[in-house]
Amino acid sequence: MDIDVRELIDEEDDDNQEEMTAQKVLQNVERAWLNEKFSPEILPHQTDYVDCLLEQIKGMEGNLAKLSKTDPKVDLHKLELERIKFIITSYLRTRLKKIESFCVSVLEEEATRSEEDAYLSPAEFKFAKEFALNADNHFDTILRHMPQLYNKLDRNKKIIEPNLNSFVFLKCNKHIDSVIIKNTLEGQEEEIVLEDGSQHLMPYNSVAEFVKKGSVQLI
Amino acid sequence: MMHPAEIEFMAENEIIQIVPTFNHASHVHLICGSYGPFRAGLPLNVPIWVALNLRQKKTCRILAPEWMAVDKLQERLEEEKASKFFTQLPTNFYLEITQMLLTVASEDIPQGNDIKTAVKDLWDLRIAKLRSSVDLFIKEGRVQASLNHLTPMEINSVRPIFPDTLDALMTLHEHINSSDDREDSSQSSVATPSSTSFSLSL
Repeated sequence: MDIDVRELIDEEDDDNQEEMTAQKVLQNVERAWLNEKFSPEILPHQTDYVDCLLEQIKGMEGNLAKLSKTDPKVDLHKLELERIKFIITSYLRTRLKKIESFCVSVLEEEATRSEEDAYLSPAEFKFAKEFALNADNHFDTILRHMPQLYNKLDRNKKIIEPNLNSFVFLKCNKHIDSVIIKNTLEGQEEEIVLEDGSQHLMPYNSVAEFVKKGSVQLI
Repeated sequence: MMHPAEIEFMAENEIIQIVPTFNHASHVHLICGSYGPFRAGLPLNVPIWVALNLRQKKTCRILAPEWMAVDKLQERLEEEKASKFFTQLPTNFYLEITQMLLTVASEDIPQGNDIKTAVKDLWDLRIAKLRSSVDLFIKEGRVQASLNHLTPMEINSVRPIFPDTLDALMTLHEHINSSDDREDSSQSSVATPSSTSFSLSL
């Protein structure tokens, strides 16, 4: 039985309000993966795209099971699915690592955001809360045995924050008129123009908003 | 952090030409795009990972990309030598693609050894340029650099050491500045005597 995968993709598109092709979704996830890898802080989650790809993978796996093993395209489809799964898992792992490292600060910031512009997906949020709780319980168990003077852990001692001034490499996806860079060395600010397609090295803080908007890609 | 293998993984999405040795009339509709039809003897475009997979099963021959010819590479090399800046290359993944194709399909690509040498020369030249600009960047104490046409693998060769060094320099400076401030507002009780005279020579 021959299955037209294009049909499957088109169906997916109809369900998707933004009418995006699977190819476009894949590119978006690839970009999110690189941004997440290179950004010091956790970025807004891309669960919509990830879930869409996971649906695609599931559909494709179902169809492949029905194809004969000798069909030359089965191998290619399987290989592609493995490649996409690698990107998705690497992306999610990178985010979990950041949640674990910066747990307290991530949760504090998340509390200031509304549900629509939450940075963590519901599942990640649940994980972060449990992780924080477990860490607290663990410290309490140990600190109980410490002399009274040392058996309290205040917020400042627990918190680890990402260094938002850390330097990142980036590529511009479109012309940006003005980016302000704080020069710590000379105690002054510089303003520069980023041209479409140009590549730069600068502190993450200066471009953070553009990374989140998608006009700048970290590389 | 990026592992070189992950950059190679990205390079595998680049498109190259193959000549299949089998027939497959319908297109293969992959998520990343549709490719086909496969007709024995007729060249077609596919992503490198597809090409490598088919080549390993000996069901296609790989055509080396145009830029991967010894004379073309020599031209690039001369251009790179003549230019003060990084020149624009035909692909962002020249080193990885050469490496991958010559590993899997060395029989398909004539003058493999010469290509390897030329690509290595190009890489060495560009890395030497990169190192001297990194040196200059730090000495001049700048906070922004233009890195047009630098490829991901080249950027990765100075990561994480280069951005980390800059981060550390900035942190040092912030500390120095903040202890200077304390000095000025005569609240210097905590500042150590040495911190006032200490400065980084940049």
